[in-house]
Amino acid sequence: MKEITISPVTRIEGHAGIRIYLDDKGAVDSAHFQVVELRGFEKFLVGAAVEEAPRITPRICGICPSAHHLAAAKATDRIFGVEPPATGKKLRELLNIGQFVHSHALHFFMLAAPDFILGHDAPAESRNVIGLARNSPEIAKKAIAVRKFGQRLTEAVGGKPIHPANALPGGMSAPLTEGKRAELAVMAEEALGIAREGWEIARNLLDGVDTEVGAVRTGFLGMANQGVYSTYDGSVAMLGADGGRAGSFSDADYTKFIEEYSEDWSYLKFARFKGGDYYRVGPLARLNIVERMGTEHADAALTEYRERFGTVAQAPLAYHLARYIEFIASCERAADLLSDPGITGSDIRARVGKVVNRRGVGIIEAPRGTLIHDYTVNEAGIIERCNLIVATCQNNYAIDRGVEDMARRVVENGALTEGAANRIEMIVRAYDPCISCATHAIGRMPLRIECVRRT
Amino acid sequence: MKIAIEELAGCSGCTIAVLDLHEMLLDVVKEAEIVYSPVIMDVKEPPEGIDIAFVTGAVRNEENRERLEKLRRRAKTLVALGTCACYGGISGLSMLSSNEDLFSCVYREVETAKPDGVIPTDVPPFLYRAFAVGDLVKIDYYVTGCPPKEVFVKKIIPAMVAGDKLELSRKSVCSECDRTMGPVENWTLKRRHEGVPDREHCLLGQGYLCLGSVTFGRCAAACPKNNIPCHGCNGPSLDILREPCRDIYGMMVRRISDLTDKPQKEVEKELYDVAHTMYAFTIGSLIMEDKETSKIRDLVKERSR
Repeated sequence: MKEITISPVTRIEGHAGIRIYLDDKGAVDSAHFQVVELRGFEKFLVGAAVEEAPRITPRICGICPSAHHLAAAKATDRIFGVEPPATGKKLRELLNIGQFVHSHALHFFMLAAPDFILGHDAPAESRNVIGLARNSPEIAKKAIAVRKFGQRLTEAVGGKPIHPANALPGGMSAPLTEGKRAELAVMAEEALGIAREGWEIARNLLDGVDTEVGAVRTGFLGMANQGVYSTYDGSVAMLGADGGRAGSFSDADYTKFIEEYSEDWSYLKFARFKGGDYYRVGPLARLNIVERMGTEHADAALTEYRERFGTVAQAPLAYHLARYIEFIASCERAADLLSDPGITGSDIRARVGKVVNRRGVGIIEAPRGTLIHDYTVNEAGIIERCNLIVATCQNNYAIDRGVEDMARRVVENGALTEGAANRIEMIVRAYDPCISCATHAIGRMPLRIECVRRT
Repeated sequence: MKIAIEELAGCSGCTIAVLDLHEMLLDVVKEAEIVYSPVIMDVKEPPEGIDIAFVTGAVRNEENRERLEKLRRRAKTLVALGTCACYGGISGLSMLSSNEDLFSCVYREVETAKPDGVIPTDVPPFLYRAFAVGDLVKIDYYVTGCPPKEVFVKKIIPAMVAGDKLELSRKSVCSECDRTMGPVENWTLKRRHEGVPDREHCLLGQGYLCLGSVTFGRCAAACPKNNIPCHGCNGPSLDILREPCRDIYGMMVRRISDLTDKPQKEVEKELYDVAHTMYAFTIGSLIMEDKETSKIRDLVKERSR
């Protein structure tokens, strides 16, 4: 039995490895995506006062803390039977948008782009954001500027750029000041300018790249609001692998459609549709589900994208373009909300009393896909049960199969070059997996690729 | 000057905090070479001869421990970056149950899992407890914060790269808070979702469990300024760290008692969910567990096999 290991998989969030098993001829027998961390939030939140969930769960992930913060806050709204007032809700949406701007900019420019702009055969020590800063300083500066806007927006609305704390049962704890709003509105226009310029790079990113690599055929799951792209509010739609509509759900009904299972070789659970069909979440899924983005420039980009990939795209590498289109949409939506006179209103928080519902489910779109927080509490509001379903758990199967597909293409005579290993990692990176999230994990995820020869 | 950033059991937020240097990052990489940081670059192992290594996250499994020890061997200066590294952080909460119960819950008991779900074994095994990195290896500098805040990271990283000494504030969160102590009458402890605190007066005085007075500062009191009580995410204040007989719980009880004239025993009766409200960031720290009056020993199930 021979193993090839790529460890850790790098330029993704958290810790993972890839293990490739070879047969006695040195050809790929099978390959797996392995996550080596678990943190156990679903267990250690039991016993917590439920209003603490929005403060504790952001620590699941330092890249998308706002998504966890808001999913938990939405769940607590249900538990206390309140709806945030209009301004409170707009602020929450804006907070999620800040998250998307930073996370998508980070992934596209700093984690993924080095493969395409510097080339996936560039030396490992320069195939990164720092190499990008040296080779394409203008791109690096713009990437820093847009990410900074995302973090400044998160800080202004959420209180802190990483692990925001302002969302709580019934709304938000602090209003957006006029001074901050004006400052952010200017930054939003700048960011949108950069995003529109960058589309020139993004749209051609996959030219000459075989987009069939790592391909899987799956269904899709994602939120939309009456057919329009929406990340904070809406119902969750499902597509079958044939692209046909397979219904939609909201709140606690997710348990009718989704199940999870686990494997011996990974801490990361796998989610799929009940009945055994696999699905994917995230930018690719959301763009397959919506009819339109609802903002001018993102809609124009979506039209181009669909001409190339069709209305239901399956290619993993198309995630990069889908993510970029969402990045444009996020900048546009931020600019719109920041010019909304209601955004600086003081009516941001509904009064909260006793526990009204013993169970509360909060569903939101995180940058990497649909995120579900589900809490059951006792009469005093102490958590008795908790279930968290994160994006990467839902993409786990597709990543795992994509890795095997790529391994079959690049492993030659039982050997793996550094460039070939990076191509396998590129499939993983297309999904922008968040392993901290995925395992609500105690651990680390740079990818390890192992090849195991079966004898 | 060679710099490395390692990730153990954590959320990558501390690496993002370094990226949040924003344009200053370009100046830093001119002066120093980042030779290893798995979140942002492809080098798989920390090389030999690192000048400054930042370790983020806690130690929860065998692999975390091996990586920490390797980093210690290869780095001249090792910095614990963030509250997880310094005190175990949020991962420490996993010690509220046994490892067996934790795995059983995650893989078999949650709403969408099945009772016969597979519990992974071909993965790095859990240690019997979580550790702060300083519990296992010698640490040269501790930088607290969940994560350390931008203004502060902007001071320390360029200074470390240049080899400069820095004098930094050692005060608590209260020292950076702009609230005043209002009237404290008929004080009772409120849950965090009850009522709306006023923006002028001390949150603790208003009945909210704000840990500002027992928490290390350098965050500009971001949460209290946004009407959110302090959760203690920077770890304990210096006076608690220095004194073996001082602990987060005991000091909070004493402060509330002084503030309200309620006997300490009465104050203790009003406290709820001590694990998640007072020790959310420090359960994994042996230093904090070893305090004479620490409640951590009572809260933790998974301490020895």
